[in-house]
Amino acid sequence: MKNLHHFSATELRDAFLKGKVKAVEIARHFLDRIERHGDVKAFLSTFGERALQKAEALDRKREKKLPVGKLAAIPVALKDNMHLSGEITTCGSQFLKNYRAPFDATAVRLIEEHDGLILGKTNLDEFAMGSSTENSSFFPTHNPWDLKCVPGGSSGGSAAAVAARLCLLATGSDTGGSIRQPAGLCGVVGYKPTYGRVSRYGLVAFGSSWDQIGPLAPTVADAALAMEVMGRHCEHDATSLDLPPESYSLPKDLKEVKIGIPRKFLESLQPEISKNYFAAIETMKSLGAKTIDVDLDILKHSIATYYILATAEASTNLARFDGIRYGIRSAKAKTLDQVYEYSRQIGFGREVKKRIMLGTYVLSAGYQDAFYKKAQKVRTLMIDAFEKAFSDCDAIIFPVAPTGAFESGTITDPVAMYLQDCFTIPANIAGLPAVSVPSGFDSRRMPLGIQIYGPQLCDVSVLQYAHAYEQASRHARIPPRYEA
Amino acid sequence: MEFDRKSLEHLKKLCRIECSEEEEADILTSLQKVLGHMGQLKEVNTEGVPSCNHVLRGMLRNQMRDDEVKNLLPRDKFLGNAPDQIGGMVRVPPVLKG
Repeated sequence: MKNLHHFSATELRDAFLKGKVKAVEIARHFLDRIERHGDVKAFLSTFGERALQKAEALDRKREKKLPVGKLAAIPVALKDNMHLSGEITTCGSQFLKNYRAPFDATAVRLIEEHDGLILGKTNLDEFAMGSSTENSSFFPTHNPWDLKCVPGGSSGGSAAAVAARLCLLATGSDTGGSIRQPAGLCGVVGYKPTYGRVSRYGLVAFGSSWDQIGPLAPTVADAALAMEVMGRHCEHDATSLDLPPESYSLPKDLKEVKIGIPRKFLESLQPEISKNYFAAIETMKSLGAKTIDVDLDILKHSIATYYILATAEASTNLARFDGIRYGIRSAKAKTLDQVYEYSRQIGFGREVKKRIMLGTYVLSAGYQDAFYKKAQKVRTLMIDAFEKAFSDCDAIIFPVAPTGAFESGTITDPVAMYLQDCFTIPANIAGLPAVSVPSGFDSRRMPLGIQIYGPQLCDVSVLQYAHAYEQASRHARIPPRYEA
Repeated sequence: MEFDRKSLEHLKKLCRIECSEEEEADILTSLQKVLGHMGQLKEVNTEGVPSCNHVLRGMLRNQMRDDEVKNLLPRDKFLGNAPDQIGGMVRVPPVLKG
């Protein structure tokens, strides 16, 4: 039998169900890999004992022929901004370095109920604010394809962990591209569902009208399997979609599927990215897809719109970190105001402070009309533009990012860093489902990806198109250093 | 109006965040750059366009439930994360004096 980490999540689950491999062997194999490949720095914490106990129980269940869950024996990692009861949720921040989750996030509970083996929690940009995982207050994570490069962010730990096959499924959260951009930069599949498809209960809030939990995995089928488990209505999240659970069956062609190309919006693509993008479109055409140009020029204002609205929401959400009820409290604070001011000074990193200030500024008296209210109207125009585009096509294709993974420390200008998300943010603006799929490599042999966007609620078809493209293109690989 | 050191001082108070001088200089430059970029929205014509209040159109409806009391978070679990506590409550510095 091949190495356990050469299986996809779905294949490994099936091997377990057929009795070819024990859950305990799987848990040991991946826990060992996490330890052996510490150079990636993907994990903030691991739960060896917890995972082995779960695996033993699962093996007993299987031996007794009792029913097991859909994620049985799949090694899973959680982005460390979602709660696993009894364990620490740091959110990549000094503020929460000792915060012990008093309950399970709904997505995490569903993974546990479906017998996923939770191995540990992965690194992220502090409070999920960043595109490189360099903003983690603990340490940066590295890209398994080249350790000098960033893995993307903010779910960089999850993307790197899946790419190096330290687990076969990881959760991420996506506010402006935080699942899809790192997935693209690390050469794995990353899926952001329709807004509200996965409950946000137990996810540390960043921008509440943007945040969405989703999976990162080696294949589209794995991501679809995770969605069958996580895509459930939840009474603890008022924005959770109250719709029947969906079944994700995956056909293999794109016959008569109409693919939209936002040609004008993409006209300044770098040649290498452009070539890769149009090669992917050709592959889709060879599978029967028809193409049509769509007008989404308004999306050139996505970054400005996003950084006004998402930081406004973040400044409100992060007001709860006041040093009173949980998190750290400054020892030198003598008054209540000092508790707030000093605790937030030492607890938050620089990027978080910047975004809280920016968000507060755009909401403050005298600036709210020019920034916040203006951006809310532009958001309406962008949703209108997508609605119009989707009246002419079934899916719209974007690159994942303007470049492949860049070297750590090389992007220092804040606007340049924010532009990393120019092709991912539009999905969050309009609450659309979008998947990032490997589409080849750049001249440095760093992975590239394309994204498939679908209309709101069309999660299943987005993954079906992605599966068909993936089967025909087969660009996914394991980075050479982590093959053995 | 330009975003300057005075705006930053005001903003620090609104946000209840203290910063070191070095941090302040960096934050000031960054915010100036980012706000400059955001200024581009001026060129978009939004006359008569409604604000976006929810991204999912057609899915907007009230989420009602009975207002039942449940014990979702026991006191000791909650206090386990409190930075300071006294007699089963969170302790804070004195708010009223004398």
